[in-house]
Amino acid sequence: MTGELYDLVEKAIEEGNKLDAKYIEARLVKTSLNMSILKNGVPELGGIFRTNGIGIRVLKNGGLGFASFNEMTKDEMKIAVAFATKMAEATGKKRRKRIVFSDEEVHEAEYKSIGANGKRPMEVDTEEKILRLIGLDKILTELQTGAIIPYRFFQMIDQTEEKYLLTNEGAKIKSEIDLIQLFGLAVAVNPNTGSKEQLMIQKGKAGGLEAFDFWKIEEYIEKEVKTLGKIVTEAKEAPKGVIDYIVGPNVIGIMCHENQGHPSEGDRILGREGAQAGESYLTKEMIGERIGSENVTIIDDSTLEGSYGFYLYDDEGVKAKPRYLLKKGIFKNILHNRESAAFMETSSTAAARAIGYNREPIPRMANTYLEPGDFSFEEMIEDVKLGVLMQNFTEWNIDDRRYQSKYVGLEAYLIENGEIKHLVRRPNIETTTPKLWGSVDAVAKRDLLEFDAATCGKGDPMQGAPVYHGGSFMRIRNVEVR
Amino acid sequence: MPEKINVINMIELSINKLNELDFADYVIETQRSNRSQLRFADNQFTVAKNWASTILGVFAVKESRTVATQIEDLSAETINSSIESLAKLAGSLPKNENYMGISDGPFSYPNIEHLADPDFLEFHDKSIDNVESAIRAAEEEGAKRSAGVLLWDVTERNLRSSHGALVKSNSTSFEFSIRSFVDEKSSGSGVAVGRLSSKLNFEKAGRDAGKIAKMSVGGINGEPGKYNVILSPKVAGDIIAATPAAANPFNVEIGLSWLKDKIGEKIGPDLVTVYDDALLPNGLGSRVCDDEGHPTGRNMIVENGILKGFIHNTSTAKKVGTTSTGNAGLVFPQNSNIFFEPGDQSFEELLEISKDKPTLYITNNWYTRFTSYVDGVFSTIPRDGMFLVENGEIKQPVRELRITDTMLNIFKNIKAMSKENIQIKTWEVPQPVFIPYVLVEDVNLTAATS
Repeated sequence: MTGELYDLVEKAIEEGNKLDAKYIEARLVKTSLNMSILKNGVPELGGIFRTNGIGIRVLKNGGLGFASFNEMTKDEMKIAVAFATKMAEATGKKRRKRIVFSDEEVHEAEYKSIGANGKRPMEVDTEEKILRLIGLDKILTELQTGAIIPYRFFQMIDQTEEKYLLTNEGAKIKSEIDLIQLFGLAVAVNPNTGSKEQLMIQKGKAGGLEAFDFWKIEEYIEKEVKTLGKIVTEAKEAPKGVIDYIVGPNVIGIMCHENQGHPSEGDRILGREGAQAGESYLTKEMIGERIGSENVTIIDDSTLEGSYGFYLYDDEGVKAKPRYLLKKGIFKNILHNRESAAFMETSSTAAARAIGYNREPIPRMANTYLEPGDFSFEEMIEDVKLGVLMQNFTEWNIDDRRYQSKYVGLEAYLIENGEIKHLVRRPNIETTTPKLWGSVDAVAKRDLLEFDAATCGKGDPMQGAPVYHGGSFMRIRNVEVR
Repeated sequence: MPEKINVINMIELSINKLNELDFADYVIETQRSNRSQLRFADNQFTVAKNWASTILGVFAVKESRTVATQIEDLSAETINSSIESLAKLAGSLPKNENYMGISDGPFSYPNIEHLADPDFLEFHDKSIDNVESAIRAAEEEGAKRSAGVLLWDVTERNLRSSHGALVKSNSTSFEFSIRSFVDEKSSGSGVAVGRLSSKLNFEKAGRDAGKIAKMSVGGINGEPGKYNVILSPKVAGDIIAATPAAANPFNVEIGLSWLKDKIGEKIGPDLVTVYDDALLPNGLGSRVCDDEGHPTGRNMIVENGILKGFIHNTSTAKKVGTTSTGNAGLVFPQNSNIFFEPGDQSFEELLEISKDKPTLYITNNWYTRFTSYVDGVFSTIPRDGMFLVENGEIKQPVRELRITDTMLNIFKNIKAMSKENIQIKTWEVPQPVFIPYVLVEDVNLTAATS
């Protein structure tokens, strides 16, 4: 980013001060993004996306205004600051309760999370990227699984995002983060019965193309596709009645994200997302209440090196640290930005994230996971009389208070009398959040901890935020399956 | 400081660079827009936003290598360097065997009524009052608090192609949605959208939301099982319109559609006829040309329950020996407005039709997800008011149920549609749809086990 653009950010702060903004922040974001799409083995598109813009947020007279622009001139900057200020005033005077921001320590910092030397997104030749995708597609078509895979899609995105945040309180944060993401879809068909099953693949990581080796991507795809073939050719009906479930990192991750991360978001609890992503079954008065069993500790931590949701300072300049959402089953923390924190008379938990220059920072998750326990995998299985081991999931959804959820298994096995048996088809858990967390009686050790990448959707306009979620294995007792 | 760059100059600059680098086919599009938004919750404004945005998009082809760029970093230097990068990118890609050209002109473009609101500039000053009128109406119906969003936008679009397309069009849009609560579990929603501000009834949207919220008070947990369901246009816009939206060859090829090999098959009852119609006055998906510069039109997807065809761009059309339907997106075909021919019954008559069977009226839903797209196996969660219908009347509010079924079953089991045809575009239904209330028989509802 050039000095001229930094100047424009600084001028925006001066402009806001001239207009008597109580608070103004200017966030310059420059993104260079490459995309490759492969459809059924054919390179459908190579894409290059370049953005460069500034988002302005102003607090004045108890109202909040936001404006962004990407024609980087002084005139556009002045229009944006004037709009944000004017609209903050106009809407603020209509409010019963003024919007304020929590007081926070002010930081000046600079940090990076970038790819390995020679592996940064802009350093790697497109041909190398597309050949890697073609190689993945070949695994799907050439591997003998007993099934055919006529539907295949891969999309790879690699990007570098540079950010410069300045506030009139003195916060000054510069960051540069490389991100890589791989999305895949494969549908296996049993040629004899026509039975089909879909596999969605999402991998993501802060860093460069070295991620493919970190993921051991070819090995991973091969394993997943072999299993998919077995599911459509061998899987039997899943058991019903009252059974136990042992769920793997992929399933724990989505449960932590949906059943505990989202309802812990401060803006949801305040009703600010009521018309879109919904509200929450949690309230601030419930802090300290038991939600789950002693075995359930859920952490959200943006500071995990190399993670897909990585950041050290949030988009309001607040320093990040791990946040305990549930600790030994007790509701501990809310994911706050400075606005929701002030409403609840507490401090921000550094959860303010904006996915681009043209979005406002709102409370989000980063990397959410279940803290590992002390069980070995074998110990978890051995006293299950009748149950299902659900390694990963396919369909899922949850109501907008985050109370009633459903998870459908993809790779799943029957457990009988402490032994893992055959594959079962589409087992399903349809239960409430307190019942889910309350029924966890065992969690596996740290050496089984794994993370998956996801894109978390929230906000209006939509803000798809990169996140990790994960865990080791956990056992859920006595789930009623109809 | 970088100088402001005129959009026509951006296009000329791009054309010169693309020609210099020997790209045979290309489409260049600029969109300059100004968009504002008011959000509110607990009957108070939470934030006011404005986006001033200029975007340059280029789709280009060199020796059957297809590449694209979208630039929001608008200096001449970035435009030139991005197109140079495209040439390098094209040089490193294998051929796209699916690419069969872009639409060839000369073109004659349709004149679409009510694409742009002549009163757009005056709307800004009325925006706060409009939102407040909706909040008040919801309160009058019994709501304690409302949340929602009003978005208004003006966009100037310029498009040029190597094959004769030359288009300039202006459009506006207005999108309002409100969700009202009596208590944390008793809620309702309302929506008002279109291209003309005069066509939006903010008060009615608020009244609808407040009324449903009030009616939902005292809800009990519903019993899982088979029901006849009456779907509001918001719900139908998601799970009924999903089937004509799946008539997209790109989605079929990658396994995201349940309509493979179904053209000519009866997938719904006689009363269902659906178009993709880009020419609808006031339609949020209406536009004069697609992303190749091909003129748009009205294309039948389902006629009297029979799947008649898919939407196409030039490449997908040539692959199956037909012509473009004017639905090109940058990468794959995209719908304009999905338009359902309305039925001939009133909403009250829909309630009556179903009176001998257990029936639910579902006013809103969210979080539709698929176990299998190719088989259309999905579930979705009703949100806001959901009611048992007894003897033709809306009665007991119920909660905590989930629709768990297949898209083909649901479409096949459509029994009746109402006369009203309402335009929907919401957070849950981003695709513009014109659709009535829809009665569907034998829908499977499941529930959490505790």
